[in-house]
Order: sequence, then C-alpha cells, then structure tokens
Amino acid sequence: MTQLTPNLASITTAAPPLLPEPPARGIASARGSFGSDIVLQWLTRLGAIIILLMLAALLIVLFHAALPSIRTFGAQFIVNSDWRPNELERPKRGPDGKVVIEDGETVMEVVPPSFGALPVIYGTAMSSALALVFAVPLSFGAALFLVRVAPRLLAAPVSFLIEFLAAIPSIAYGIWGLFVLTPFLQSHLEPWLWRVLGPVPGLDWLFHDTIKVGGRTIERTLPLTGRDLFCGSLVLAIMIVPIITAISRDVLRQVPRAQVEGTVALGATWWQSCREMLKYSRSALFGAVMLGLARAAGETMAITMVIGNNNQIKASPFAPAQTMSSLLAGEFAEASTDLHRSALCEVALILLLMSLAFNVIARWLVVGKNARTAAAH
Amino acid sequence: MLTLLKRAVTVAAVAVCSLASAAEVRLQGGGATFPNPLYQRWVTEYGKKDPDAKIDYQSIGSGGGIKGFTEKTFDFAGSDAPMSAKELKTAGGENNVVEFPTCAGAVVPAYNVPGVKEELKFSGEVLADIYLGKINNWNDPKLAELNPGVKLPDKAITPVWRNDGSGTTFVFTNYLATQSDEFKGSVGVGKQVQWPIGSGAKGNDGVSAAVQQTAGGIGYIEENYADHNKIPYGLMRNRDGKFIKASSETVSAAGAGAVQAMKGHILAADIWNQPGEKAYPISSFTYLIVYKDLNNLKSKEQAQALVDFMWWASHDGQKLAPELGYAPLADAVQKNVENALNSLSFKGEALKPSIASAK
Repeated sequence: MTQLTPNLASITTAAPPLLPEPPARGIASARGSFGSDIVLQWLTRLGAIIILLMLAALLIVLFHAALPSIRTFGAQFIVNSDWRPNELERPKRGPDGKVVIEDGETVMEVVPPSFGALPVIYGTAMSSALALVFAVPLSFGAALFLVRVAPRLLAAPVSFLIEFLAAIPSIAYGIWGLFVLTPFLQSHLEPWLWRVLGPVPGLDWLFHDTIKVGGRTIERTLPLTGRDLFCGSLVLAIMIVPIITAISRDVLRQVPRAQVEGTVALGATWWQSCREMLKYSRSALFGAVMLGLARAAGETMAITMVIGNNNQIKASPFAPAQTMSSLLAGEFAEASTDLHRSALCEVALILLLMSLAFNVIARWLVVGKNARTAAAH
Repeated sequence: MLTLLKRAVTVAAVAVCSLASAAEVRLQGGGATFPNPLYQRWVTEYGKKDPDAKIDYQSIGSGGGIKGFTEKTFDFAGSDAPMSAKELKTAGGENNVVEFPTCAGAVVPAYNVPGVKEELKFSGEVLADIYLGKINNWNDPKLAELNPGVKLPDKAITPVWRNDGSGTTFVFTNYLATQSDEFKGSVGVGKQVQWPIGSGAKGNDGVSAAVQQTAGGIGYIEENYADHNKIPYGLMRNRDGKFIKASSETVSAAGAGAVQAMKGHILAADIWNQPGEKAYPISSFTYLIVYKDLNNLKSKEQAQALVDFMWWASHDGQKLAPELGYAPLADAVQKNVENALNSLSFKGEALKPSIASAK
C-alpha cells in the first residue's frame, strides 16, 4: 500500500465514510477517456462536415461552370427544345417567310448555337416514369411472394438472386439491352404491338412520326428500331427491380405478425390481408419506390446504349429519346466550345438538383406519414 | 584475367548508366481518335528505330487534343478538323503554330438492307436527303435510279449518326453541305450537329452495331474501321460523276487535288468533293499540331526528338498507312509538309530534322 500514490491511498482509506467517492472515481474515469472521446467525436464531426463540404463543392463548381450558359440562356434553357452545338449559315428569311435578296444576291444569316434542356429533362422524366410503371408491380409482387408465399427453402435462394441482380454493373445491362432486348423488340414485340394497337382509334400517335426540317414537315410511319424510349425504360425497370424488391421485402417483414393475423381472423381473404400489409407499410414502400426512381433518373451507361440518343420530344415511346445523364456521357468529352461545355454543366446541375429534390420530397412525405401513423396509434 | 573481367564489367556498367540517363526523352501527345491505330503503330515502330524517344499518344478526341495543346499539357496534338481561327488565336495566333496533315482517311456509308447483296451506290444529294428525312424508304425512286438492276425492298430507312462530337461527323456534314443547300441551311456543319431524324450512337463501333442490327439502317463510319471489321459499305458518286469505292489510292487522289490550297505552315485543306476521276468524295486529312517555336518543351533534345519523329512519320511512316486503312500523303503534299517542318525552331534556334539526309 505504501507504493500507492498518496491521492489513491487517501481515496481507498477515506472510502467508507465519504459518499462523494464514487462520483469522484466516475469523473476520474470519464477524464481518462474524455480526451480520446473528444478526438473521436471530432473525427465523426469531421466526417460529416467533409461529406457536406463535398456536396457544397459539387454544387459550387457545377454552378460556376454553368454560369456562362445561365447568363446566355437564362430561364429559356429549360423550356427551349433546340440542342444544336454548331452554328448555322442559312439564307435569311424576311417576315413574310421569303428568302431576302438584296442586289441580286441571297442575304445569308448566321444562327448561333442553341442549347435547350427540355428534351433531356422530358426524356429523363418519361423514361424513369415508364420504368416505374413496369418495375413497381413486379417488385411488390415479388416482395409479397417472398414474404407471404415462398417456403423458407425457396425464399433464401430467390432473395439472393434478386440481390445479386443489383450487383451487376450497369454496362452489362446495357450490352444485354443492345444485343438481346433491342433485336427482340425490333423484330417481335414492337411489330406485334403495332399490329394490335395500331388500328385502335386514338392510339395512332404511338406509331406516327412528324419530322420538321427547315420549315418543312414530313409525316410518316415511325420505323420501329428497338432503340427507343420504350427499350430504355425496360432496361431501367430491370435495373431498379432488385432494389425496390429487396427494400419492400424487408419492409413487409416488419409488419407486426399480430396485424396480419388480425386481418385473417377478421375473415379477410389472402389478397385482402396482403392489401392491408401493403397499406400498413405504404410510406416505407413509397421510400423504396423513390430510391428506385433516383437510380433510374441517374442511370447512364446502360440507357445511353439503348435509348437512341436523339434530343427530341416525341409523343410515342417508340421514338428515340435522350436523358440528361446519357447526354452528358455522349457529349462531354468532345464538347468543342466553352458554351457547349457550360450548357452540359448546367444540365448536370439540373440533374443534381432534381435528385436532391426527389430525396427531400421523399423524406418529407415518408417522415410526415410516419408521424401521422404514429399519432393515430 | 580477373582484372580484365572486372574492367569489362565496369565499362559496361558505365555505358549502361550513361545510356539510361543522358539520352532518354519523353514526348506527350494526344487528340484525334481517328488516326489513333496508325499513330500507335508509328510510336511502336519509331521506338524500335530510336529507343530513347519515349512517345505517348492518348486518343481522347480532337477537341481534347487542341485543349491540351493550348494549355501546354500536350507537346503535340492530333486533330481531324483544322484549328479554327478562334482556336488559333487562343494558342497564340497563326504565326505560333505549325499544322500539317499526316495521312488521309475516308468516311463510308454502311447500310443494312435486307435481301440486298450488291454494293449499293449513293450520291451526296441522296445521302443528304436521307439524313434530312426526305428519302424515307429504300425503294425510293432516287435510290433506284442510282442502283439499276438492284431489287430494293419496301423498308423504312433508319439513319444512324454519331452522338459524340467527332471528326467523322465534321467531314460527313461538310461533304453533305457541298451537296445540298437545304442540308447546309437546316442541319449545318460541325463535329456535332442537330439531326432531324434517326438515332445516335457513340463511336464507330456504336454506329456499326446500330446499323448492323437495324433492318433498314444506314450510318457513316471511317473506312479503316469498316475494313478492319469487315463491314460492307457503298460506293459514292464523285464530282466527276464516277462511282468510287473508298481505298487508300482513291483517298490519296482526293488529297493530291488540294495541294494548291496549301501554303506556309498551316497546311489545312478540305479534301472532300475534290475533282478528279479517281478521287473519293468523302475524304479528309488528319493533322498534327505543334508550336512553331517549341519553347513549350523543356530541352532542345526534346524538341529535336519531336522534329525527328514527325519527319520520320511523314516519310518512312507513310508506308505503314495503307495496311491500316489510311491513305498516305501524295508527293506534292509531302513537299509542303517538309517545308512546314523545316520552319520549326527551339527558342529561336532553327531545328533541322537529323534524319532528313538519310532519306
């Protein structure tokens, strides 16, 4: 005992009568780890700050790069549907539509390049929406099967396979889309749809194409090539099925057993009880769909191979289209003018803000619904 | 005996050391993808001739090449389109730059028409109309007129084009603009344009794949790519009214016709739609670009090595062009290139190609 420091000795000896001893020891032990706690806390804080800084840097850099385009086009950028990186030299036309001729010579005018993002915003929105139309029923169906139907022996391998689908790199989906799905659509599915839906009154717009070139309009039947918005949406749907299925399966498993048994006890059929399950977890299912949507909207490599890459707005899903990410993948490397590069950066900025908006809205809806459900219970 | 051996080893070691440290020069270039197979071959072959010259060419696209050149991250740049007036200005003006053709290439129309085995013939006007959407079907009378005796099917035409900016599109649109005023006024010319019809694909490989799997598809690709991958393509009607298939001879013939337009050290010349019975009409040069005074390089040795490489490429290197699907420079064009290379200097000191006499 004599080797002990006087302090510790006094504590041990003074222990029985003095009550403050345990807190003193507590503070001492807290002090011992306090230093490292502060460091660790700051490290976690740093991690969070760096992530926020990265997002801020991304926004600032993109905004800065997009500035020339924002200054040139303003709000026109998101409503203009012309995407023409080259300038045009053409005969000038007067207000009457006739070519202006002065001193026996045709007057030429130079039309500067024009960048409008409406076609790619439309393409991204349409392809993602269509992908959800295909993917959501499939995913919910698969998730219900895994939770309510599949025997344990089958559920595990099927779950594994579905999760495995999510790990396949997107370029593999693209190659499969280009070499398997596209030819199938071109020679089988699309001609069949044309034969079936073509004669239906009110659906002729699906297979009709209007081309406008230099003030002339050409009407024709749309050639069905398989490289179109429809094919792009199908590939996207296949890519987002695993993520929606996996999350919805976990969500449906969270439904309390009492809830499910209660519905059955009340005489609900199997399907009615499933519907109650879906209804019970609707907000989380909505979150799963939102995550799928975020992946669909940002997907690049696969869609650029099958969507046809034409910056145009066509009513028919069987016409080539273009998405924001696929436009960036195609054009950024070889963008030859500063304005072109800047316009592409503005598209990237819009894509980033759109994804942010998706997530914020999804959060807000999900959290809001959760709060309401919690209040109801 | 032992001392002799020791001495020999020492001498050898010293020799190796001096070889490694003194002579090695590194040169970094980049740009156009179109001549990349030939440039890579040149770099390999030249490396055998002069093992100390470590030359690297990155095929990142003409636009990126010119950007790297202007920012001086590249010692030399490759470009399919000559530098524009604005690009020249950014690089310090016309007097600061030497630009010369290294070889010529052709853009060919590849198609996939079910049931047609013959080589189809096209005219520039018909191709322009196809890409404008005015000719929509393979059995169009204008196509039938060019291809008597060929049974063309009733099948919609689906044009395919490059959706990435490319020298191939630059050449193709420039040629079509000489053939159709409507094309010039509504689609225009450039590395990337707004096509009114069809679908886009990336690179020669993307366009070829799209054409080959689309019944009724047509696309434009580089001749060397088509040859290398055995993709069939059509004949083009030239300015003299003859139907010509792209080959190194017919493209060289087109290049020879442009020699009058070349002057000084910016040897840019458009060789599409050239006169001459044998000239293939959709031809173009591809260029190398360097600073006239190579003071962007670190040493005179580096500058000398670059001059020697370019001299070799425009002479001995030309023999490698035809087997890779490129057209060598015609003699008259080569003379102009020699003059341009002779105008190079390093910090004011004139550089002469050290292998010029070996020719």
